[in-house]
Amino acid sequence: MQDQNKRRPFPDPLKLFPRVLTKMYSTWVSATYPFASIGRRVSLHFTSNVSRQRAPRISLGDSVHLLEQVWLNVATDDPTGEPTIVIDDGCSIGIGTIISGKNRIHLEREVLVGQQVVIQDHNHAYEDIDVPIIKQGITKGGRIRIGEGSWIGRGAAILCSRGELVIGHHCVVSANSVVMRSIPDYSVVSGAPAMIIRQYDPTARTWRMGQLRGTGVADSEISSSALPFDRNAEAMAKLTVRG
Amino acid sequence: MIESPIRQASVVRGGNRDGTVNHSGGSRARFQDPLKLIPRVLRKLYTEWLRMTYPFAAMGSKVSIHHTCFIDRKNAHRIKLGKDIRIEKDTCLGLSVSPEEQGEPVIVIDDNCVIHWRTQIGAKNRIHLERDVIVAQDVLIVDQNHEYEDTTIPIGDQGFTKGGTIRIGQGSYIGHGSAIICSRGELVLGRNCVVAAHAVVTRSAPPYSVLSGNPAMIVRQFDPVKQAWVLGSVRSAES
Repeated sequence: MQDQNKRRPFPDPLKLFPRVLTKMYSTWVSATYPFASIGRRVSLHFTSNVSRQRAPRISLGDSVHLLEQVWLNVATDDPTGEPTIVIDDGCSIGIGTIISGKNRIHLEREVLVGQQVVIQDHNHAYEDIDVPIIKQGITKGGRIRIGEGSWIGRGAAILCSRGELVIGHHCVVSANSVVMRSIPDYSVVSGAPAMIIRQYDPTARTWRMGQLRGTGVADSEISSSALPFDRNAEAMAKLTVRG
Repeated sequence: MIESPIRQASVVRGGNRDGTVNHSGGSRARFQDPLKLIPRVLRKLYTEWLRMTYPFAAMGSKVSIHHTCFIDRKNAHRIKLGKDIRIEKDTCLGLSVSPEEQGEPVIVIDDNCVIHWRTQIGAKNRIHLERDVIVAQDVLIVDQNHEYEDTTIPIGDQGFTKGGTIRIGQGSYIGHGSAIICSRGELVLGRNCVVAAHAVVTRSAPPYSVLSGNPAMIVRQFDPVKQAWVLGSVRSAES
């Protein structure tokens, strides 16, 4: 019994196969796909789905991880123009997540996306009642930006039908919530449609229940004045730590 | 009736049919990744295998079923598939009927339907997807439920409820992660209905409605009098 406890646990050797496949697939994709830009140490699981023809509109940073069955979909045929899906350094995209971008979806540095999340900046058009929705194409859509260091919980849906949807820095989107409007920095949101349930109080330097006064959810305007500390200083500190 | 808009829309719709777009992009990405050929071939082979060996009630031409789909061969005689259907990865078409039982098809999927990844369809009485329905990812469509009323035995041993039937009208769109659950009676979504992401639909809806929330409410509807889409439910349209 004691011997068993002392035994150094090692991963199942069978797990080596998917790891090797993932490594090979990542190398293959990094080397041959015409991404707008791709960083170093990008890992794409071999079941993840990125179209080579749409790759010129996708930009991936350093150390981006795409886990099983992640789908990066660029919903436009035009291969020119600025990148539609931008994933910055250190992001990790969980199992079964769908990121479908028509205009722009920007995940800033070190965003953690859980499993089966859908992030979509357009939708199916349905207004024409004579045509089946499958044949009506997609709407004009908006733009989505997810702030640095945020965490999107399992099964959440982030949908933007028009304008710009901004999730601030260091936000938490709870499991299965549906986000349709912008969220200020340092908030925890939950529910469908998502409401702010906790927020960081910069004066008391603690997390408080409910929404703080004066930091209302406003489309495309995020109050950056109420930050607890200087964002640039923090970013600089992070950079120095990373070397 | 719908010939001309199809051609226009197929240009706009972009990535919904990944890999099948003939559009040749810029100079850099003229062709698809050759590695993608392997799953395509597997898919093709698996579909042919299904066509030859599974006793479907009907299976139209140009059906494409991903090789990771879960379809039980014993119950395949209760599944009816139309033409031009695409069923994606990890989709489950489950039937909780006994394999010996003969009768009407329980799962009916009409022409031009698309069922995306990880969708679960669990049928006992009848689930009917009419033509041109899009079912997005992670959707759950069940027409029965687990029995739970007996407090002395685990729910897992109690079997299923009697359930109802589900019919999803032609041209509808079922959004990501939504659930359509019918515990009794008949649940009918009319023509061109939209079920928003993560909605839980438990009741019928008239044609041309947009449903959202848990439980799903009608948030937008086509008003036949004004000939326009209006917010909220139109009373006169309910029939």
